[in-house]
Amino acid sequence: MMKIKMRKLLGILLSSILVLSVVGCGKSDKSGQINLMTWGGDFIPREIINQFQEETGIKVNYKEVTSNEDMQSLLEANPDQYDLAVVTDYMVDILRQNEYLEKLDKTKLPNFSNINPGYQGNYYDENDEFSIPYAISTSFLLVNPEGVEKLGASPITSYQDLWQEELKDNIVVIDWSVEIIGLVLKSLGYEYNETDPTKVEEAKEKLFALKNNIMRFETNTPEDSLINGEAVAGFMYSNQAVKGQASNEKLKPVFPKEGMPIYIDSFVMSKKAPNKEAAYRFLNFLLQPEIGAKIAEITNFSTPNKAAEEYLPESFKNNPMLNLSDEVIENTSFYINVEEVLEEYEHIYSEFKMR
Amino acid sequence: MKKFKQNAPAIPILAWIGLLVGVPLIFVVVLSFLSRDNLGNIVFQFTLENYKRIFDPIYLKVFLNSFLLAALTAIITLLIGYPVAYFTANLESKKRSLAIGLIMLPFWISSLLRTYGWIILLGNTGLINNILLRMNIVKSPLSMMYKFSTILIGTAYMLIPFMIIAIYNSVDKLDKSLLEASSDLGASKWKTFFNITLPLTIPGIAGGFTLVFIPSLGLFFISDLLGGGKTIFLGNLINTQVTKGRNKPLAAAFSVGMIILVLVVLFIYSRVTKDNKEGLF
Amino acid sequence: MNSRTKKFRTVYLSLFFVILYIPVLSVILYSFNKSPSTAQWAGFTLDWYKELFNDRVITEAFKISIQVAFLTSILSAILGTATAITSMYVTKKMEKTINGVMILPLLVPEVALGVSLLLFFNALRLPFGHLTLVLSHSLFCVPYVYIMVQLRLKEINISIIEAAKDLGAAKWQIIRTIIIPLVMPSIITASLLALAISLDDVVISTYMSGPTSTTLPVHIFSMMRVGVTPKINALCTLILVGTFFIVGLSQLVSRKSRKEEEFK
Repeated sequence: MMKIKMRKLLGILLSSILVLSVVGCGKSDKSGQINLMTWGGDFIPREIINQFQEETGIKVNYKEVTSNEDMQSLLEANPDQYDLAVVTDYMVDILRQNEYLEKLDKTKLPNFSNINPGYQGNYYDENDEFSIPYAISTSFLLVNPEGVEKLGASPITSYQDLWQEELKDNIVVIDWSVEIIGLVLKSLGYEYNETDPTKVEEAKEKLFALKNNIMRFETNTPEDSLINGEAVAGFMYSNQAVKGQASNEKLKPVFPKEGMPIYIDSFVMSKKAPNKEAAYRFLNFLLQPEIGAKIAEITNFSTPNKAAEEYLPESFKNNPMLNLSDEVIENTSFYINVEEVLEEYEHIYSEFKMR
Repeated sequence: MKKFKQNAPAIPILAWIGLLVGVPLIFVVVLSFLSRDNLGNIVFQFTLENYKRIFDPIYLKVFLNSFLLAALTAIITLLIGYPVAYFTANLESKKRSLAIGLIMLPFWISSLLRTYGWIILLGNTGLINNILLRMNIVKSPLSMMYKFSTILIGTAYMLIPFMIIAIYNSVDKLDKSLLEASSDLGASKWKTFFNITLPLTIPGIAGGFTLVFIPSLGLFFISDLLGGGKTIFLGNLINTQVTKGRNKPLAAAFSVGMIILVLVVLFIYSRVTKDNKEGLF
Repeated sequence: MNSRTKKFRTVYLSLFFVILYIPVLSVILYSFNKSPSTAQWAGFTLDWYKELFNDRVITEAFKISIQVAFLTSILSAILGTATAITSMYVTKKMEKTINGVMILPLLVPEVALGVSLLLFFNALRLPFGHLTLVLSHSLFCVPYVYIMVQLRLKEINISIIEAAKDLGAAKWQIIRTIIIPLVMPSIITASLLALAISLDDVVISTYMSGPTSTTLPVHIFSMMRVGVTPKINALCTLILVGTFFIVGLSQLVSRKSRKEEEFK
């Protein structure tokens, strides 16, 4: 008797799980959704996505990736599975050259005019046909001056200062060959993504000298190490530095005179996108002034939306990390020709890590 | 003919597994001999370039690193796990079931949770440092994260149930009369252990070693979460080449390298347990 | 074993189990911490759990994990049992071959397997999502089902089958009315095991997920890299409870069947 009861119970349990999962399956209607590729960590704020979904009924599916090259691989393998991707400037150029991108129909984007012309007409999309800028950021140093002093090191004002012996095991950096080698190149007074063999060799040697000072490689939350005191200095993206300072007032930004990178993360549409109409609606939605301002506030990125600027709070406009001064902007440059140097830089970086 | 008829039903099953496991593996082996162009697309040109790259001193270091991690993990789990298995096998029945249950339970707990626990314990603002600081045992937090030893702890912790169960099976099957005979003949406890128990449990040790060594090579999320990105392991290398590096043939070559490493371990295992009826398979 | 050894044994085992469970207990403990950082304990709260239920991405990932695990479990049960029963009817040599082929997926480190499948499915231009997830999960779940069912099959008293044959039963009849009911407890236990394994998989799922189907562990993994808050602790704790539920269920089933065996 018990055996039968047990079986029945199990049967009911299992079939209810089955029913639940099938019912859940049926909700997604092919015509009312878009597939997105984005960075992790609320890069496109959950709040904004929810608002879009509520206003239009279009479901937003997204896959989080950790690198531009990842996005490139995914787009190449399944161009008809994704509608939009948010990629960094140099990747727009690569995807454009490889003909994966849809030329955008501006008539479907009435809010296009809200974009700040200062962030348009760049090398990767001179006629602004393939990309819609979403977020502007840079990277620089975030420092704990008290912590630096306690270690007996001199105050950090430039990249060069990171090589001080006293800073052993006390620096956190974002984990990418191009960024770290770029930092070293700038400290030597060279350009980003240098290809000249003698200069690269010089940078390699200097890079190796930095190994002992680095406590941690972390691309997603480097500011955490500064907040909890594991590290006294870090090289990270502007939005991470903003978060860091918000959690710990003692942390201060340092804009190295040697130069900084600038990143424009933009939306691009796959040529074979399955839901183009819905994708246009999403892009247009994001380009609204109030939405642009909200995005900037939540993500801590500078906004490329000129019309959004009047909706930004004072605290935003007064923050030198978010409202970059002209002096700082003049000193920034893009990472061009990443594809050309990637393999060699990755090799150097691997050697660096294995020391 | 009769044999064929008898074996016929097995064909669809073998076909299924063969298709799903065999074909991707063959695919990977073939891919490792191909080259790629500048855009990262695969070009059907035979080359040994990828395998030559493996012998690049840096990549060899990575292989060595992973091998070291796997070997140390196996050794640590052996040293800690053998006594656990031995003592458990000698417990009275009720306590023994409880102990076995407790040993197997973590196996059911999410591997991410088990790794995350160490982040909570070992961080600068983690539980251990909190206690040490509050009790004034140390003045400033101990830096325990992002080291090779951190990854070692995480991996050993994840895989020790395998080692224990493998050894336990062996100890359990020991013929008690042999042990009794040994002590009757006047051998001390330690002598009995080293001369009888240990040799007889070698199949279990070999099995445990294999069961711990092989997964250690591939659990890259542990080195990701606990290692702070400071060293590169084989799993990370393969992962990076597929995604960031955009060099699928190279990733394939590394994967083949990893599989060869596994085959070597399995071969050693089969040699060690050659004359034994028991063991894993 | 003398009393001194016994004492040492108790100490060693107790110490071992304490260390074994401290990491898990810490995760559970801090899921109730008011402060988002482990640096201080700010009081008891259930807020993080509440946040979980409002997080649509997590509930979505959870749904997908359950769907995949469920389908994997069924597929593995069918394939594993079919193979195990087949292995009983073929020649010894063939049985050994099947054993070897079955074990194969478990021997390849997950990274290598995941990458192989990724490249393979890519070449076939398969869309990444539920299909690829279920196929790849089944790959390493079927062996477990196979092993467990085969073990049980070997325990069946061969005379029952002989008797049925003598009474004129066809092979299919024997399988349907005798063998399957006898191994059913093993099939159920093995299916639950497959369920648990599929739910927990991180490495292979990382490679096999698509834009609309990210499994829960993959999502948790990216959560852990992006920002460590007690929300993750709460999520892990809930998963723990769910897994224990499944384990408890399988224990009940196997214990029930064992009790019945004793009565026979």
